[in-house]
Amino acid sequence: MTLNRYILRRSIEIGISFFIILTGLFFLFHLAPGDPVTRLVDPSMTSEDQARLIAQLGLDQPLWNQYLHFVGNFFRGQFGISFHYGQPVAHIIAKRLPNTILLFTTAVILSTLAGVWLGKIAAWRKGRPVDTAVTIGALVCHTLFLPWIALLIIWLFGYQLGWFPITGMITPEVWIDPRAGFLLKGLDILHHMALPLLTLFLIHFGSYLLIMRSSMLDTLAEDYIYTARAKGLSEHTIRDRHAAPNAALPVITSVGLSLAFSVNGGALTEKVFSWPGIGRELVFAVSNNDYPLALASFLLIALVVLMANLVVDVLYAFLDPRIRY
Amino acid sequence: MDVTCPPDPQDTASGIPESYWRSAFMDNWAMLRRNTIGRIGIVLLAIFALMALGSFIPPLIDPIYNPMSGVDPEISYSTGPSWKHWLGTDFIGRDLFSQLLAGARIAFMVGISAAFMSIFLGTAIGMVAGYAGRWTDTLLMRTADIIMVMPTLLVLLLMAALFGHLNIWTIVLLIALFRWPGVARVIRAQTLTLKHRPFIESAKIAGASHLRIIVRHILPSVMPLALLYMTFRVTSAIVIEAALAFLGFGDPGTVSWGMMLQWVWKTGHMFQAPYWLLPPGICISLLTLSFYMLGRAMEEVLDPRLRKEDPEE
Repeated sequence: MTLNRYILRRSIEIGISFFIILTGLFFLFHLAPGDPVTRLVDPSMTSEDQARLIAQLGLDQPLWNQYLHFVGNFFRGQFGISFHYGQPVAHIIAKRLPNTILLFTTAVILSTLAGVWLGKIAAWRKGRPVDTAVTIGALVCHTLFLPWIALLIIWLFGYQLGWFPITGMITPEVWIDPRAGFLLKGLDILHHMALPLLTLFLIHFGSYLLIMRSSMLDTLAEDYIYTARAKGLSEHTIRDRHAAPNAALPVITSVGLSLAFSVNGGALTEKVFSWPGIGRELVFAVSNNDYPLALASFLLIALVVLMANLVVDVLYAFLDPRIRY
Repeated sequence: MDVTCPPDPQDTASGIPESYWRSAFMDNWAMLRRNTIGRIGIVLLAIFALMALGSFIPPLIDPIYNPMSGVDPEISYSTGPSWKHWLGTDFIGRDLFSQLLAGARIAFMVGISAAFMSIFLGTAIGMVAGYAGRWTDTLLMRTADIIMVMPTLLVLLLMAALFGHLNIWTIVLLIALFRWPGVARVIRAQTLTLKHRPFIESAKIAGASHLRIIVRHILPSVMPLALLYMTFRVTSAIVIEAALAFLGFGDPGTVSWGMMLQWVWKTGHMFQAPYWLLPPGICISLLTLSFYMLGRAMEEVLDPRLRKEDPEE
């Protein structure tokens, strides 16, 4: 019950935060030097068409009126028409967002699991060669420059070894083929996802590993670990069932806190591997001055980050029975 | 009152003689130098600093070594390393080694100035929020929460869409404006633990103004933490600028490592020119690593339990 109330309160807070971001962007957009008309109306149209569109979009109306319309349209899912695609922005985003969520969520979950597991081992063998090797590896991976390592991965696995495709998400031939079943299509996506996933994984698992290691070291010094030893429990039970679950909690927190930062990396990865996600779409929209698409992509990404933070917090509450909201 | 007792750093934050701070600094410095990770970090940073200083030399030798406008008249395509061009040339015959040196200068400039500004903002806002409490605290921390969920790189992209190409100093300023909330949170938490300590209470009773309490009594105590966060902010600023340049939205008037990578990628030299692809990436990664190592070493020196959250957040 209390958890439900917590979720409700946080949802309201998320709503307010999002509304503020939305408002901030609207005014930035309309008050920035230059004319919003030139930003929102496709310059390649004839002047009559432009005038009709300006009236249609309400750009001749007072600012506050436009603002109300903007907010109203946004919550009804009408983000305008993309200049480049000539389609409603909502359609494009609906197509792209699932791809991003697939890649990004898989990467975050895999790197968290690997970070927790390796961090646990490093802390358990503190000062031994395993610990040194794993810690140095994590430090190096954590500070690699993402686009660069992505290019190196493409060079090695895509070009030299030729094991994986280096761009896109699907092989059109496979998808056109009527005989191709669900399994084959799924495998095709996995095959394309391998390299971007590897990139995001390498960049992320290091920081989770380092947090897990130091948290695990703290936990191992707790009294209840001595108690567990005194009871004669096996070392494996102590490590995996008594110390690790508690030590993993700060990792969950840091996943939530670093989410916005990870999204930067997600967009870069999508761009380098031409993964048809929303991050690549945003970069593309910015390069092409496709303002409606850029604005909507950004807002959607901000909304997803806000909601993912809530998911992480709720997950934390489930994992830590001491937390009561 | 002729009994002299050693000053307790916690309770006499402002009334301490100059020599105390100097010896405390020297102690910490000595500890930092004994720390292996810290030592490697410092050595690497010194090498990069030399590179940044050395970036002024090549254009003086010959204008063809100018990283931006210098073109070797005999070369109009990318060539490998030679005596004339130690790392080779890019697609229009500009010297890659000069570009790499110039990139070090830009990285330091961007990293340190953006980090300094965001730490300044974060520390000031964190102290005010923690000290003032009530609605000031709520307002400032809610603002921090909102800024925190916005991915800085994407914000900068959006700004580039609105304002056209961003000047390098605009980029620095924007990074600072969007990277203070993490610092403010930590500094606020620290301020909250200090707020009710006896030395603050007695300063209040003695009639010190709020400004004086914050600047003279709270600031010295949160300063080490702020400096620690500065090392982490330097790395994130360098990475964000490099990423922005890599995507093609850097300042067109400067040569940064990110821009070198963009050129090698965009001109399709990725698979043919390892002499061009490898150095900028190694430099960004190593410089980030060395600031990170310095930060971790500082952390161990200051207090292993100071940090509970990921500094990158």
